[in-house]
Amino acid sequence: MRPFELTAPATVDDALASPGTFLAGGTTLVDLMKLDVLTPHRVLDINALPLRGIDAGDGLRIGALERMSDVAAHPGVYPVISRALLQSASQQLRNMASIGGNLMQRTRCSYFRDVATPCNKRVPGSGCPAIAGANRMHAVLGTSDACVATHASDLAVALVALDARVRLVGADGERTVVLADLYRTPGGTPEVDNDLRPGELISEIVVPRLDWATRSTYVKVRDRQSYEFALCSAAVAIDVRDGRVVDARVAVGGVATVPWRLPAVEAALRGAPATRASFEDAAAVAAEGARPLSANAFKASLLPRTVVRALLEVTEGDRA
Amino acid sequence: MISRLDGPNKVTGRARYGADNNVPGMVFGHVVLSTIAHGRITAMDVAAARNAPGVIAVYTPFAPLRLRTPVSPFLGATWVPLQNTDVAHYGQPIGFVVAETYEQARDAAMLVGVSYDERPALTSMRDGLATAQDAPPAMDGAPPSLAVLAPGVESIEDALAASPVVVEATYTTATQNHAAMEPHSAVAVWESGGLTVHSGNQGSDLVAAALADALGLDLARVHVVNPFVGGAFGGKGAASTPAFLAAAAARDLGRPVKAALTREQVFTATATRPATVQRLSIGADEDGTLIALRHDSWSSTTATPGFVEPTSHGTSREWYATPNVAISQKMVPLHVPPTTFMRAPGEAPGSFALESAIDELAVALDVDPIELRRRNSSVAPPGKDLQWSSKHLDECFRLGATRFGWAERTRRGRADGDWLVGLGTATAMFPALRFPASVRVTLRDDDTAEVATSGADPGTGLLTVLALIGAESLDISPERVTPRLGDSALPPGGMSGGSTATASAGSAIMIAAPQAIDELLALASGPGAPFEGAELSYADGRVLAADGRRMTFGEVLRATGRRSIAAVGSSAPGEEMTKHSFSSFGAQFCEVRVHRWTREVRVSRMLGVFDAGRIINEQTARSQIIGGMIWGVSAALHEGLEIEESGRPANGDFASYLLPVNADIPDVDVAFVQYPDTLHNPVGARGLGEIGVVGMAAAIANAVHNATGIRVRHIPIAIEDLLD
Ligand SMILES: Cc1cc2nc3c(=O)[nH]c(=O)nc-3n(C[C@H](O)[C@H](O)[C@H](O)COP(=O)(O)OP(=O)(O)OC[C@H]3O[C@@H](n4cnc5c(N)ncnc54)[C@H](O)[C@@H]3O)c2cc1C
Ligand code: SF4
Repeated sequence: MRPFELTAPATVDDALASPGTFLAGGTTLVDLMKLDVLTPHRVLDINALPLRGIDAGDGLRIGALERMSDVAAHPGVYPVISRALLQSASQQLRNMASIGGNLMQRTRCSYFRDVATPCNKRVPGSGCPAIAGANRMHAVLGTSDACVATHASDLAVALVALDARVRLVGADGERTVVLADLYRTPGGTPEVDNDLRPGELISEIVVPRLDWATRSTYVKVRDRQSYEFALCSAAVAIDVRDGRVVDARVAVGGVATVPWRLPAVEAALRGAPATRASFEDAAAVAAEGARPLSANAFKASLLPRTVVRALLEVTEGDRA
Repeated sequence: MISRLDGPNKVTGRARYGADNNVPGMVFGHVVLSTIAHGRITAMDVAAARNAPGVIAVYTPFAPLRLRTPVSPFLGATWVPLQNTDVAHYGQPIGFVVAETYEQARDAAMLVGVSYDERPALTSMRDGLATAQDAPPAMDGAPPSLAVLAPGVESIEDALAASPVVVEATYTTATQNHAAMEPHSAVAVWESGGLTVHSGNQGSDLVAAALADALGLDLARVHVVNPFVGGAFGGKGAASTPAFLAAAAARDLGRPVKAALTREQVFTATATRPATVQRLSIGADEDGTLIALRHDSWSSTTATPGFVEPTSHGTSREWYATPNVAISQKMVPLHVPPTTFMRAPGEAPGSFALESAIDELAVALDVDPIELRRRNSSVAPPGKDLQWSSKHLDECFRLGATRFGWAERTRRGRADGDWLVGLGTATAMFPALRFPASVRVTLRDDDTAEVATSGADPGTGLLTVLALIGAESLDISPERVTPRLGDSALPPGGMSGGSTATASAGSAIMIAAPQAIDELLALASGPGAPFEGAELSYADGRVLAADGRRMTFGEVLRATGRRSIAAVGSSAPGEEMTKHSFSSFGAQFCEVRVHRWTREVRVSRMLGVFDAGRIINEQTARSQIIGGMIWGVSAALHEGLEIEESGRPANGDFASYLLPVNADIPDVDVAFVQYPDTLHNPVGARGLGEIGVVGMAAAIANAVHNATGIRVRHIPIAIEDLLD
């Protein structure tokens, strides 16, 4: 770790006044500083800022500094959010980690985390060893020739399924952005993860009200039962009436460079009977456009299976 | 049964491990590792590191700490760092930065620049197979390839060709790291011309000898202390890089030095279990009686060949009654991290292949896998006259089958909702060995006793066992016995490895204790002593005279003005080796659930039933077995160090080198059939430190086949292996 200056602003204005890297739970930032991947000169501990509170009145508003564990345990959050969080990291990490930090976490690509190797995301133009290397965990959707790293947040997948927005405050004022639009696929600039402007702070996450999202779930497929990132995950919410799907939300993780919404699957579900057969039909298009790498071609098969499993689990009992 | 004596210290954090020692004036060392797999270091730029805050010294092959290569009869030559510019694997120690604080040393180490003359590296087992070489002779001196053929049979090929049923398959197992909870570390202190090193290891006297050798010191001046060891599993047999560097730097700087590897460094700067490829051919009669067994093995090893995983020697050579058996062992030298022993070396990966193949034969013949094993049970290793001293494997299977509900198994498993459920089983065997060991038994004037040896308790429960066998041999309660170990100043206990410690140290106690008692009786009946001239016996911690007088040993010592009486007993394998073959045995069972859609494998039940002779302390014995069985799950479903073409480990940290978490492990059921094996040693106990891991991976793979119909011939088994 390189020496750095640490300050702890007490107000949002103070935090915005002096440029620096925000520290919330530190479970990504400090980790990467120890590995010499991130070398900020100034670190701003934002934990004293008033970015707290969970309000489940009309939709959901969650302060960016709320801890993953507290959000997961809140009775007002939709099941898909709670389950995505409870299947993330470990209880100890969830007690530390904030949801703002969660959305801003960096990829777990092992080359990104190892300064002895090249990586376009870490050092633009240095190359992407994952493409010909150890890429089993990597993405098959949204990739480019410059980077194939997944976005590792489970929460983000659930939030994208629910059309969540984030409120941002910066030196130039406030703005609200649809979360799905905030993330950037790597293209030719994999060093840019998202559209956050320099010094901009996430203050709040806003989930629009969706009454039928009380019937939602998050299925995470991974190499061990806990404390592991997704090989593939699916966030689904579904509105079934009289054995027919009225509406559905489907987003997937572990397979794409950004939290990946599947509008074509949603469209195929809408109006279809809530049966295993139609779930399978709808999920069949889930992996369309997948670009498999040497060790992760299986994700193209795992992806529709994960979507079907999630749909079956969430409609248990009311399938035709 | 008593609770582990070191348990309270460990769970309360009072147990002081090597790196927990802090001494005045101590400085900290951080190891620098290579970032190529093969080549030569042409230059190292240490100016920035040297000028970084707090830095005291930067050692490199260009400015080294002089170390000689220690050689021991037991471990052969141990590699010492920084002695030349050659790089033979990625992550090889090439530098050592010493600073006032740990953080300063670590941060400065990041500033060291290295230039290499890189050469092509051979890192892939698959690519290396073409240039495989014969392995050196096995541990018992057997040639790498050997065959035992029935009279009139020309070759194993003939025997296979003449077999009505033949199964043939190739199996592979992954490189593994011991990943002990305590990373390799050392605190080295020089005082009045002598060196003391606090460092977790498997035998303090062996490490003391290695350090003395490396530093050119008289052995009497080196003191190695390791009362607690945070796991070893074979990975702490040899002296470690931190131990060599801390000791040498402490001498050079005249200050105590602490050095510890980071978790990531442990993956390449220590050693690993080799990767293996194994080809099995089994020929049998229609009723399942084996006719021929052929097991060809390849093991990865280092570029200058080191340890080779003896998979066929450790299993097919001995496990089944077969008139014809042929085994071979090759090695594949690669530019990969050093290879060494890991829990059940040979038997663990070897049994994955053999016990999967036996299951494949059972499927081919449509015979129950337990019945097939029973039909081919051996009374002696094939071609050997020496029968097993005590073998109750069939009973293990019988008992296990009942306890596990084996009768409910169907050929195609069953479904439970969206989960496919299958049962699997496998045999486990591990040779019963003993190493030379000496133990000192001391009777003290306060009516307590001490049992002391330099050997190590790397979590196995040896400390508790010393107290128990000591108490039994002295006929007093265990609370009155203080066990001591982990100190090279004590009588040499040898290596805690090979599942030998209980049998080796236990036998030595049983020699030392009667000697101490004899001396006590001589003292008590000596001139001027309370029982002068009397005929004496000993029981219950007391000296007894024929006339009914009695005194505790403490009373005798006090009456004769002695503080203590001590005797050292030594034991080693002996005559028994010419009379019998010795092994522990076990039957492993497991149930797995595979998700119909997403194909995760979950182990839902496990049982192991073992025949390991007498069990000295059921609690620590069970713990050992449970740990081993869990490691079997890990090997089957999680663990594998993936080496990239460049030689870099793709998953050299705990985020990506997967070990099972609690949620992956169901309740583990363990049972023992207890038949004391006094033909092997006077204690009657055979080893059980390693056998728990043996067979478990095959049992899981066999259960996966039962659940899904898919035979996976490599471990770890991953989701993609079960997708279509
Ligand atoms: C071992 C391990 C396992 C994990 N497993 C999972 C998993 O299974 N699923 C999963 O989803 N995650 C997982 N994680 C990631 C974990 O969820 C994130 O590290 C955590 O959520 C980050 O939150 P934090 O508050 O600690 O962020 P920090 O580390 O403090 O910050 C992370 C980044 O976000 C920035 N930041 C923080 N807050 C704000 C804000 N309000 N506005 C703008 N920028 C901000 C920081 O500057 C920094 O760049 C795992 C992490 C570890 C270490
Ligand atoms: S996949 Fe992306 S993050 Fe990983 S090495 Fe390539 S560029 Fe870097």
